[in-house]
Amino acid sequence: MKRMYALITILVVFLGFAFFQEKNANPTNSANGAKEPTLGILQLMTHPSLDAIHDGIIKGLNDSGFHPGKNIKIDYQNAQNDQSNLKTMSTKFANENATASIGITTPSAQALASTIHNNPVILGAITDPVGAGLVKNLKHPGGHITGVANGSPLQKQLNVIKAFMPKLKTLGIIYTSSDPSSTAQAKQFAQLCKKEGIKLKTYTIANSNDLNQVSSQMVTQVQAVYVPNDNTIAAAMDTLVNNANKQNIPVFPSVDFMVKSGGIATYGVDQFQMGVTIGKMTAKILRGENPATTPVKRFQQGKMIVNVKQAKKLHMQIPASIMKEAETKGEVIK
Amino acid sequence: MSLIVSAIGQGLLWGVLGIGLFLTFRILDFPDMTVEGTFPMGAAIAAALIGRGVSPIVATLCAFIGGAIAGLITGLLYTKAKIPVLLSGILVMTAAYSVNLRIMGAANLSLLGKGNLLNAGIFQGLPNYFNSVFLGLIVITIVTVAIAYFLQTDLGQAFIATGDNETMAQSLGINTDRMKCLGVSVSNGVIAMGGALVAQNNGYSDVNMGIGIIVVALASIIIGEVVFGNLTMNQRLVAVTLGSILYRFVLLIVLQLGFNANDLNLISSVILALCMSLPAFQSKFNFKHILKRGFDRNE
Repeated sequence: MKRMYALITILVVFLGFAFFQEKNANPTNSANGAKEPTLGILQLMTHPSLDAIHDGIIKGLNDSGFHPGKNIKIDYQNAQNDQSNLKTMSTKFANENATASIGITTPSAQALASTIHNNPVILGAITDPVGAGLVKNLKHPGGHITGVANGSPLQKQLNVIKAFMPKLKTLGIIYTSSDPSSTAQAKQFAQLCKKEGIKLKTYTIANSNDLNQVSSQMVTQVQAVYVPNDNTIAAAMDTLVNNANKQNIPVFPSVDFMVKSGGIATYGVDQFQMGVTIGKMTAKILRGENPATTPVKRFQQGKMIVNVKQAKKLHMQIPASIMKEAETKGEVIK
Repeated sequence: MSLIVSAIGQGLLWGVLGIGLFLTFRILDFPDMTVEGTFPMGAAIAAALIGRGVSPIVATLCAFIGGAIAGLITGLLYTKAKIPVLLSGILVMTAAYSVNLRIMGAANLSLLGKGNLLNAGIFQGLPNYFNSVFLGLIVITIVTVAIAYFLQTDLGQAFIATGDNETMAQSLGINTDRMKCLGVSVSNGVIAMGGALVAQNNGYSDVNMGIGIIVVALASIIIGEVVFGNLTMNQRLVAVTLGSILYRFVLLIVLQLGFNANDLNLISSVILALCMSLPAFQSKFNFKHILKRGFDRNE
């Protein structure tokens, strides 16, 4: 009882003190002078594709002359997929007066945007920055937020599928219903398929545990499977490939490392290179470029990647043009 | 300093969640898993309505109603369909996931730049983060007073009796099934309201924001109990909110210590476990006694 009153008194006194302290505080902060800049990186969870972006960012910073530990301080936070942590971590960045902050994944960027109002916030690979309410306009962000949007080159990926299977009639798409970016991609992809006259059957899962059952049913109903850039399915790719192999059905993913774990081929966005782009843009902003006039970059640069081993397993012919592109500018997995 | 203010503000907002769970977990004495579905449901309803231009106050109240309906379904599954309570909660929680996707029409809805309770006119001109402190104080006071008042009515007393001893309550002519349904509804209504507030503070609603929420709620309740010891019912309600603030402090300390980002969950769990096991060790070893003896020897 006594302890309770004591704590309440402490809280009230502290809040009262803080209230007047902050009210009288000078809003212009001189901490951002010649001192080494601080960069906050907020990542939603540990995941191969997100980690690749993070590694790329560090590379991009290094390439632009910022060396972590030497002339830049990096505060890297990972919310471990618990979204209640995002706000606290964003507040930490705000309190450190971080020169700039990068949010990897949509919720991270939203938490940063709602907490940090003065210093630049950089979008680390968000599929739909306008839909997520982060910027009003990709070309003229106008506020303190800019960054890199990741657009899967969907048409190119569909072209790869068509090159492998010119007579394709029904294609299946599978994604996680709770992932805003894969949901958005699925919608766009459906329109592309409609144009090409391919029947697209949609399958969704709530979490990776559903994948086995949903995909084993899926592979009996379609001729090929397409997987958008979906973190959950990427993590459980083996399950999907196993089921598809049983029916001799090819899986066409959208990310390079999904091909490595059993997909046939794709024209995939290079996550690491995307990170490098984010890192370079961050470096420019750390040097004083204004985010309001820095357009959001849509990163679609990818590479052709083909899994020869998997193609042999399914007795599929690799189209010569695709093989050539993979050999010269992309990657071939044997 | 602003970091601590922000932690207090968040503690107050998350306290609403703690109080909601307190009703089922402590008073009715059963574990209600519906929470992980109703918390994001509140966020979803508020975000969807605010996005359509509904006033944030109405949206937050609608979140309460939505959560209460989901809670009622858990209650009915448990009392009428005789499905074990843990399972009833999990069933509704699972179903809520799909419902939440329907409500939002997407997996993530942004509230950035939209009018919400936290950027309302009366909170303008306050120092940083004080909007969440004041909003949290207002809401938590209303919720605490309302529940404290409710528990003192005849209905509330019957509700407490149901949790204390169901057989005895029945022998007094209390319809315990009805009491349980009522309890789970109100509890989940309050929790959904907490979700609505947290979404407005965070600036977005996400279908996955319920993951791990039950741990946050339990932490508030248990830290409050451990730190403040024996209390009356009304004081216990206040203790939950204070526990929620202390939990935010724990997280803040973990973050400030600057550990490897990947160890966050482990470290916060260890610190929480230490806090919670303190009373058990205290009585066993009697720290005060040991400390005193230590000083004596030094002198």
